[in-house]
Amino acid sequence: MLGFVLLAGSAMADERYVPGIWVDPDGCEHWVMDDGAEGYMTPHVTRDGIPVCRRGNPCAVMNSDQLFRVDKAYITPTGRKRLQDFFRKANATAFIIDGHTDSDASDAYNMSLSKRRAQAVAKIAESVGARAQVRWYGERVPVASNSTAAGKRKNRRVEITCVR
Amino acid sequence: MKTVKISMALFATTFVLAACDAGPDKSVDRGINSHSVSQLNAGIWVDPTGCDQWIIDDGVEGYLSARLDKYGKPVCSGIAEPNTVVGDFKNQIPDPI
Repeated sequence: MLGFVLLAGSAMADERYVPGIWVDPDGCEHWVMDDGAEGYMTPHVTRDGIPVCRRGNPCAVMNSDQLFRVDKAYITPTGRKRLQDFFRKANATAFIIDGHTDSDASDAYNMSLSKRRAQAVAKIAESVGARAQVRWYGERVPVASNSTAAGKRKNRRVEITCVR
Repeated sequence: MKTVKISMALFATTFVLAACDAGPDKSVDRGINSHSVSQLNAGIWVDPTGCDQWIIDDGVEGYLSARLDKYGKPVCSGIAEPNTVVGDFKNQIPDPI
């Protein structure tokens, strides 16, 4: 009996199921299948786990040099003012704050620095009544080459996503 | 009351029959208001952890899928309390069951 069930199961595995694509309000794709009375859905991600989206840049990318001193997570008064204005005017339900660094110093140090910097930005969001989720990636997600000074400067950043 | 029950049973039967020969292409809803599955209105269900999930009621079918940020991590916007829904995600067709 069990053998029969397993056999039937393996025969079913070859049945073709071709999904459609649904794009969510954020612009990200999901695989969707209508199987008559049942419906199925799951996010469309790459093999690295990155969602496949049709959307532009994050709401804001703050260059770290304009907010922090080297190796510090304390935000300068002008940076503080700029961020407060931004969070007040962005008209979002919530914010996702992602900290990044260049490749100077160790991976572990950069993970810690990017975390402390993202947390400092989130504190300012919260100080004006906004909700913020904090994530940090250290030097692991560069947007430019770390072999030039200009590239490194680009990589030192705090990305802010506006959740609407 | 009995009439209501019979009509509901007929309604359900119609959907079951419609479901019979769907074929490998699962990208079309072949029900009463036939349409591509790409045309769906989503609401947000806040899961018990407090993270957002897209929720869709497409008549007989229901869909649920994670709301993810650009790095693939969950979006937990705090738009509502856990175990609640927000938004107009329900299809106009009444559920047969």
